[in-house]
Amino acid sequence: MYEEFHFPGQRENENIILFLRRHWFIFLKRLLLIIAAIMALVFIYFAFSALNHNFAESEFHNLLLFGESLATLFVWNFFFILWLDFYLDAWIVTNERIINIAQRGFFNRDISELKLTKIQDVTSEIIGVIPTLLNYGNIYVQTAGKEERFTFYQIPNPNYVKNVIVELQEKERQSEEKELGSFVRGEP
Amino acid sequence: MSGIVTILYAILIMIYIAMGAAIVFHMLHYKINRHASMIMFFIYAIGGSLLLLSNFILFNSVNWYQIASNFRF
Repeated sequence: MYEEFHFPGQRENENIILFLRRHWFIFLKRLLLIIAAIMALVFIYFAFSALNHNFAESEFHNLLLFGESLATLFVWNFFFILWLDFYLDAWIVTNERIINIAQRGFFNRDISELKLTKIQDVTSEIIGVIPTLLNYGNIYVQTAGKEERFTFYQIPNPNYVKNVIVELQEKERQSEEKELGSFVRGEP
Repeated sequence: MSGIVTILYAILIMIYIAMGAAIVFHMLHYKINRHASMIMFFIYAIGGSLLLLSNFILFNSVNWYQIASNFRF
């Protein structure tokens, strides 16, 4: 299902079980900024045209068009910066571990991982009307280590994801116990 | 006047291109999903080039001398 997905440090026999990004609604909320900027540019053009009926013939017409075009260039870049921030923020659940890839602006990227056997407790939460209707929320993974929590932010279907992580953790724990048992008994 | 405007314009365009280079680097360097990033790269590159070209045409169409005279520069 996730054959086309790759992440840094992926092992040979490691299968991606879940590939998660923030819910699309989070991207849509950010997209409203872009839409507002475009609407403001259109409004400014029509406001100048309405205030001065000869505006289209004046030398300022081209100046306004140039200014708006310049602003559009930066809005175009801003849209792709928002998209990259959404696209490069990801949580990957494999059959061995959980990987958190966090992109914070340009050239600032954090990658942390957690072995499934280190998981102690998994909690999912959906808070608010829109998250309830669209079914997105946070997941907190409690670890045995010093770092208290491993958090998945605003991901779709948090309850389902939580169940998958718990099942995988149980499977991984059982296989580790089996391996340890065979080692203690001196089985090949 | 025209020289100052051209320098300011060149600085803005350089900022735009520097941002664009950073965007392209992030799109192509971190290959989480090669297919998606290639599509977005082409959309960005084609759209960005067209916008830049139209902006340059509009820059040349502005009568900077007349505008500076109107503002008594």
